Amino acid sequence: MAIPQEISGETVVLMPQQRVDSANSKQFEVDLLEALKAGHKTLVVDFKDLDYISSAGLRAILVTAKSAKASSVRLRLCNMKENIREVFTVSGFDKILAIHATRAEALAA
Amino acid sequence: MQAEHRSDHLHILLANDLSELERLANEVEAFVERNDLPVSLPFTINLCLDELITNVVMHGYPDRGPHKILVEMWIENGGLHIRIRDDGMAFNPFEQSPPPDLESDLEDRPIGGLGVFLVKETMSETHYRREGMYNIIDLIKTLPNTEEA
Repeated sequence: MAIPQEISGETVVLMPQQRVDSANSKQFEVDLLEALKAGHKTLVVDFKDLDYISSAGLRAILVTAKSAKASSVRLRLCNMKENIREVFTVSGFDKILAIHATRAEALAA
Repeated sequence: MQAEHRSDHLHILLANDLSELERLANEVEAFVERNDLPVSLPFTINLCLDELITNVVMHGYPDRGPHKILVEMWIENGGLHIRIRDDGMAFNPFEQSPPPDLESDLEDRPIGGLGVFLVKETMSETHYRREGMYNIIDLIKTLPNTEEA
């Protein structure tokens, strides 16, 4: 199941839906990496519709972030619900990833 | 594939298949709701169950055959108790998982290794024991004291 996406100019925004757990995290990673390879300059992951993410999902995000850095694509994350934001903080991901409160902020950064 | 409810004691048998996690998440949500527990709790519980059960499903069964994993949940002495019982290979996730690297730069940050750490961070107590052919994991999450509210 592909993640809904919006493309505008050189930016692609992905909006993962409902849950990312270990059952669907592989597909999540494939979708993220595909968006990365499509040639956009900025990849925004908008978490507004995501209710749950497990460490398997965090792993997919980290793989994507490393790959984005290696291919000079900007990766921005935004709109995380409080629970999800907390998991990113506890995991120390807030120090290595660009996490923004809103999509507007992510796009302006 | 069955779930029964003895008042506030959840008892659910899962097949060793990751697709069971979503069904488990729904059971957890229903348990939290009918016991008037904090709305943020299902997220935490599912995060922990997800990590520990994924470990069992992915690594616990070299025979690749069908197995049952028992998950129980009840409230006792102001704490939410969760028990996971599986008949996979003996494995103590709390001792045998290396601590995660939370500091390195993006390039050097190792992929993975966060799951068990998140369980330890979010639960009040984590216990493991081997009993006969079973791994038994007990988790306790202290609940906010509602009597004073």
